[in-house]
Amino acid sequence: MKDQLSALIDGEFDIEHAEHLVTSVKSGGELKTCWAHYHLIGDAMRGGMQMSQDFSIRVMNALESEPTVLAPNSQVVTQILTKKSIYKTAKLWSVAASAAAVMFVSVMVSQFNQAEELTPVAIAQSLPTEYLQAHQAAAPNGVVYYIQTADVTEPRQ
Amino acid sequence: MLLRLASALLLSAFSLSSLAEDDAWLVLQKTAHAARELNYQGVFVYQNGKQTRSVQITHMNNNGQEMARNVVLDNGVQAGQQREVYSQGNNVVIVRPKHQKVVIEKRRGQNLFPAMLPTDLIAIKASYTAHFGALEQVAGRAAQVLDLVPNDAFRYSYRIWSDTEFGLLLKMTLIDNKNQALEQIGFTQISMLNSQDANWFQPKIDVTKSYEMEDKTAVSPVNSSRVYANWMVNDLPAGYTKVDHRALLVPGKAVPVDQMIFSDGIASVSLFIEPMTKGMRPKMGHMLIGSTNICANVMDGYQITVVGEVPEITVMQIAKAITFKKQTASK
Repeated sequence: MKDQLSALIDGEFDIEHAEHLVTSVKSGGELKTCWAHYHLIGDAMRGGMQMSQDFSIRVMNALESEPTVLAPNSQVVTQILTKKSIYKTAKLWSVAASAAAVMFVSVMVSQFNQAEELTPVAIAQSLPTEYLQAHQAAAPNGVVYYIQTADVTEPRQ
Repeated sequence: MLLRLASALLLSAFSLSSLAEDDAWLVLQKTAHAARELNYQGVFVYQNGKQTRSVQITHMNNNGQEMARNVVLDNGVQAGQQREVYSQGNNVVIVRPKHQKVVIEKRRGQNLFPAMLPTDLIAIKASYTAHFGALEQVAGRAAQVLDLVPNDAFRYSYRIWSDTEFGLLLKMTLIDNKNQALEQIGFTQISMLNSQDANWFQPKIDVTKSYEMEDKTAVSPVNSSRVYANWMVNDLPAGYTKVDHRALLVPGKAVPVDQMIFSDGIASVSLFIEPMTKGMRPKMGHMLIGSTNICANVMDGYQITVVGEVPEITVMQIAKAITFKKQTASK
């Protein structure tokens, strides 16, 4: 199980089959401690730790195809509620589920942010319209006042 | 004897062609002045890439004071909401409806159509050769075609149609080295004004809207002493000189951006230098939009962006020509 959990955090375990891991983590005990430790290590290594490239993609896919895995308000909660008779701590469960969701999302977001700082973007993908405008306003070739600025500063409503 | 005759013929042919070139420059000089000195009204169309605009222009020279009104006829806004551009000398005021308001913007402008040629042609003469072309018809007027052909690969060609009677620039096309037209601007209708009445020189006021000065979200220049002094441009493409250097406040950016403008007399290029800040994603590469080439690079912790209606090689060389001085610890 520990190996699977580690693999999950490293993005090497299929999130769609990880419900048992999430369930175990939430139930506390050894695996919960492991979960916390893995994340502590991850935090300590922040900047150096790189999750596999497709981790976030898989999380996103999982979110799309099965939003219930991570969203506490839908299927997970429903399942938990139906299991209420078995587990008395259902309320705590859903809180844990949201915590898990937040963890996943925050890991994902930090990964995204990091990627943004590191990878340059092609200019064609991210046009510096403010500079086009500034060029045309300061060095007019005679036509800019009728054309570009209109489109750059006020996208049509 | 035969040899002497041949060389004399050759000599006269040579002087004829140089005479023709001198004449072409004289026509261009007349064209540069006519746009500023004559009183006229007309409609011109501008095309760049996929963009097309029709603009109505009224121009008057009142004892040396130039006044012009440009009304954009088809920029996608509702009727009665046209963008109007007023200019007096080099001062330009743009009046444009924006949602429920009308925004008034102050700008500078020197070479607004049809005054696209500067009155001082010295810089252009150094980088281009002028040739006479055919006689053609533009907006119902007889026009002399003139070509400004670049002496190197750092600029595009310009084809100019000059009214044979008044010397007014009727049309201009920007042509790349593959002989493709990149940008075109020309009258579809033009007439000379006889009246000195200047009642047209005032915006149509819409009393139902509030008017405000300058859009706060627009790029605006700040005190020029704030430009960064730790960089320089060493090897500009031939013929280009620095015409301006200023600091800009760009919405969404915490620190001012340096802008340096280079020109060869007719084409212009802007260079932007901006310190990279945390969370800023570097931009790289090259792109062509209509006639505008843009290239971006990151160097010594600065984002460099070069923009101009010039060939790719020119923006690339300017981007490469920048060097940063080593920052000293005491500074």
